[in-house]
Order: sequence, then C-alpha cells, then structure tokens
Amino acid sequence: MELNTIVKECLEGRQGAWETLMDMYAKRIFSMAYQFCGSRQEAEDLTQEIFLKLYNSLAKFDFQRNFTAWLLTLTKNYLIDEYRRTRWEKTQRDEFDERILPQTSLAGPEESLDRRETRAVIWEGLNRLSSEMRMAVILRDLQGKSYEEMAGILGLPLGTVKSRVNRARLALAEVLKDKKGVLS
Amino acid sequence: MTCERFEELLSAYLEGEISPADKLEMEAHLAACPACAGLLVLFREAHEALTSFAEVEPGPDLMAKLYAIPLKKRFFNFKPVFTFLVRPDLQPVMAALSVFFIAVSFVFFLPQGHDTRKAINRQLHLGYGQVEKLYAKAGSVTDELGSLKNTVVDSLKTLNPAKDQEEKR
Repeated sequence: MELNTIVKECLEGRQGAWETLMDMYAKRIFSMAYQFCGSRQEAEDLTQEIFLKLYNSLAKFDFQRNFTAWLLTLTKNYLIDEYRRTRWEKTQRDEFDERILPQTSLAGPEESLDRRETRAVIWEGLNRLSSEMRMAVILRDLQGKSYEEMAGILGLPLGTVKSRVNRARLALAEVLKDKKGVLS
Repeated sequence: MTCERFEELLSAYLEGEISPADKLEMEAHLAACPACAGLLVLFREAHEALTSFAEVEPGPDLMAKLYAIPLKKRFFNFKPVFTFLVRPDLQPVMAALSVFFIAVSFVFFLPQGHDTRKAINRQLHLGYGQVEKLYAKAGSVTDELGSLKNTVVDSLKTLNPAKDQEEKR
C-alpha cells in the first residue's frame, strides 16, 4: 500500500493503519534513538515520545513532501532538543552490547577481538561528539542516508553536511588513536 | 598538500568521491607524511566500525505501547483543557485565585480565625433562615394562586348557563 494512503487512513482513524505505520518505522526510529542516546531504556522512552509527537502533528503533514524525510526531521529535532534540555544526565552510554553487531562480519578470532574492541571504543566515542555531529554521523554511517537526503533532513547545505560528517569521523579517529595510544 | 587539506578530503577519499587530481595529491602526501598515513588507517577503522552497527529491534512491550498511542490519545485527551487553563491570559486570574485560597486557608486553619469562622457561621445561618422564609412565602403564594384559579373557573362557568344546564341534564 502506498505510504501516503496509510498516512491518510491514520488521519481518518482507520483500523490497522497506525499499526502498519509503526511496523514500518518503529525499528528505524528506535535504532536512531538508541544510537544517539546510547541507552536502551532511554531510547524506548524517546521512541514513544517521538511517535506521540508524530501522532499529534500528523494532520500538519504536507502530502507533497516525502513522509520518511519528514519523520526523520521530526526525530532529529526531538532528539537534539531533548539532548540539549537534559545534557548533564546523558554522560554515560550503555555498556557496549554485542547484540548491536552483525554476527556475519567476524573473521579470525584475533581479528574479531580487535574489531570488537574498536567497535566498543567507537560506540563509547559517539558520546564525545556534539549532538549535531553525532546526528550527522548516525544518519550517514549508521542509517545509510545519502548526503542529499541528509541535507533535506538536517536543513543544511550539502557542503556543510559533508564537512560535518568528515569532522565527526575525524573526531572518532582521534578517540581511537587516544585509546590505542593508552593500550600500546 | 597540507595535513589540514588532507584531513578535509578524507571522507571524499574513502567514499571514492574525489577528483583524480586531488587523489594523486593525497597519495603523494600519504607517502611523505607518516602521521597522515596513520590517521587514514584509524579513520578507515572508525568508519568500518560505524557502518557495522546494525539496527536494533524494538521489544514487544515497546511495540504494544506504540500501537496503543491512538487509544491513549482518545481516552486521555485532556490536553486542550490543560492548555486552556495554563494560557498566559489566565495567569492573573490564577494568581488571584491562589491568593484567595491561601487567605481562606488561614481563616479556616489558624486558631486566630475563630471569630471570623463564627461570623461566617452566623451569616450562613442567617442566609439559611432567609431562604427558609422565602420558601414558606413561595408556598403561600402557590396556595393563593390555586384558590384564585378555582374562583376564576367558577365565575367562567356562571358566564355560560346554557352549557351548565346541559351538563345538569
């Protein structure tokens, strides 16, 4: 079924339409919230708030626009606003969890251990980024968005988006360097 | 090429979105600058780690809560009332009400308010007495109206003697 039709049915209160929308987007929004805040419990609360906000503002959706981009912009705004509002409580991420790694990418035991450590450092390192840089790198590398899509979601010029992603990756490479320097 | 320029182009280099001229310059810089070569390795590792994080499945509890959002909104839609009550125009009214209730609480809960409470009690009883009197008067007025109605009906009957006689037959 076409996405705009589902949204219209949600507005009409048609049975099952909202559930379909949730099945389509819950995983993506929950993952984005989890990657951004680093805590599963907090991500669950944030996801609920985001979808509640979506439900309340669904009537304002312009059907000429791309619904996914609109929802991701709403999510981005909510996550960054919430981070700014309660930034002091968010200094700790959940312990790095193997469940968030795909199991197929493991090579030899030594290599896999090294890569696992790298991933754990990068997971922790996401908290060292500013909310804007973190969001940029999440959209690009974790959510797999194109720079053009990101420019639409973030409401920024293409060049700014590219430079923000590059700076975020550089900052994470620095985190990795610091960690490896300590270990060696 | 400077190290700063090299850093600026790292993402484009990694994603293959770099011009051939810049690529040549970067590779020349890489051969000459061990620090930047080391940075490229770390940058690539960081990028690989980031892209390896898979999406996380929301639990069944969360999904149940998300499905229930429209129901929750339907049954607990107090927001319009709440937003009406907290709008800025009503702030002076709310402030006045707060002061009033604080004053009333002093009267009712402090021992010094004994005389005031007594006066209020007296006024209430007086008011009650007056209401009772009014009620009694209203009762007598109803009786008078009833008897007036009967008189009017009787006099109307006397105005139509023919019909009266027919009724008697």
